[in-house]
Amino acid sequence: MIEIVKASPYATVQDQGFPRGRSFGLPEGGAMDRLLARLANTSLGNSPGDAIIEWSLGPLSFRLPRGGRITGLGQAEVRVGDVTRGTAIALDVEAGQTVTLVPGPRPVFNYLAIQGGVAVEPVLGARSTYVPGGFGGFDGRRLRSGDALPLGASHGSGSPSTGEIAERVTEVQAGRNVTLRVIRGPQWDRFDQAMQQGLLSATFTVDRASDRMGYRLTGPVVAPKEQATLPSEAACPGAVQVPDNGQPIVIMPDGPTVGGYPKIATVIRSDLRLLAQSPPGTPIRFREVSLEEARRIILLP
Amino acid sequence: MTGAVPPVLPLGESAWTIVLGDRVDRALHRTVLGLARTIEAARIPGISELVPAYATLTVFCESAQVAERVRLDLASAIDRMTSPESRVPNPEPGRVLTIPVRYDGPDLDEVAERTGLTRDEVIQRHTAREYEVFLLGFAPGWAYLGELDPSLQLPRRSAPRIRVPAGSVAIAGAQTGVYPIATPGGWHLLGTTTVAMFDRTRDPPSLLRPGDRVRFEAIG
Repeated sequence: MIEIVKASPYATVQDQGFPRGRSFGLPEGGAMDRLLARLANTSLGNSPGDAIIEWSLGPLSFRLPRGGRITGLGQAEVRVGDVTRGTAIALDVEAGQTVTLVPGPRPVFNYLAIQGGVAVEPVLGARSTYVPGGFGGFDGRRLRSGDALPLGASHGSGSPSTGEIAERVTEVQAGRNVTLRVIRGPQWDRFDQAMQQGLLSATFTVDRASDRMGYRLTGPVVAPKEQATLPSEAACPGAVQVPDNGQPIVIMPDGPTVGGYPKIATVIRSDLRLLAQSPPGTPIRFREVSLEEARRIILLP
Repeated sequence: MTGAVPPVLPLGESAWTIVLGDRVDRALHRTVLGLARTIEAARIPGISELVPAYATLTVFCESAQVAERVRLDLASAIDRMTSPESRVPNPEPGRVLTIPVRYDGPDLDEVAERTGLTRDEVIQRHTAREYEVFLLGFAPGWAYLGELDPSLQLPRRSAPRIRVPAGSVAIAGAQTGVYPIATPGGWHLLGTTTVAMFDRTRDPPSLLRPGDRVRFEAIG
């Protein structure tokens, strides 16, 4: 059991998302940063796809009534009793001790894994929370102070070095300009060459109105050759949609499964987490890669 | 479907969108559903889900690594449908479902005024047609139904509501639909139904599927 002492304004149970559901309008969902979620788990010997707590926007405090081992990735500070430290990788926590995780300005989404995994009942094949529908995860909602979540049995110890890799990944990326690799979208040819090159050479900025459904980018106007609403068709996380106002919206894991806006490009799977972890104001650029190259880039286990 | 081979375009690294047209048209939609059935019958390995839409069919693969293999297998299935010798599978008409509606929506009077009809005429014209389910999306269990009687067609509301209650029966453009869960929404609300469009404990969880036909019936 893990007891939430004080929930951050945003905290939900997530895993790697709903395996099926697009055909009836359920988005994939799951962790915004699939890589950090998996690495947090493997550092503890959990299965990479075990459920974790994704949290943001304020400190998160919790207790393990029976003690246990945790990994926190992303946070700036960890307070265990009176002791303050920076990292929390495969950290042993005593029974009843309060642990507080304090976020930094980056990354946007932090991950708390507990040895054994968060063992809420799966819904539609996953332990992810689909907040708009009010189901999945813990009661289909954000966590609140006083919530108690069940844990699974430990599989034995993991490799703390994977947690350290994750910390390093987060540090290094925080210092770099964000360039997202994209492949051409299904409506690429509806944009003339100047617009296509414009997308690939301009700098956009992550807008405040960005969330688990989509990240809005402000920058030079992107417009197709003809303004026309297409009949809606399937979309996917990473799709770069161009609405009427010319400011791209990148679909994120909770975003709509279909849409009528032209999709000029799609962000490759491995790079979507770079966008997810970019706070409002971050400059973003796009770089085209071929489909073959995109397929060779594999998300780490 | 004869003649030109439809484009098969990548949607990300692990999905393919097959483009059969660019309009909302029932005959074109039947072809989309026919193609979906052909692909299902071919039992191509590596396919995770099919998402038929108005004029396209998107094939989601289990991984980026199998996507190229799936593409080759799809080409054979599409070939079978485009060759003049093949018979286009005529999909069985879907089920016909009747959805009971209490026509007491907050926008019913405004729709009547803007279309120059009475409330009763709006209700009568909304219930007169048998609609086709074109696709599911926007929210789990949300079905895009068409086509709406031309005399009822209005653009979406200029100021969408932050919250439309679940079960709201709505219209916009040439479409009508029922909100399966409470979401923001910009359609005109004509009434409510207590029928659950989406129930996560049901298998499948969505009440409607592409190809189903729907009638609305006024109650109360």
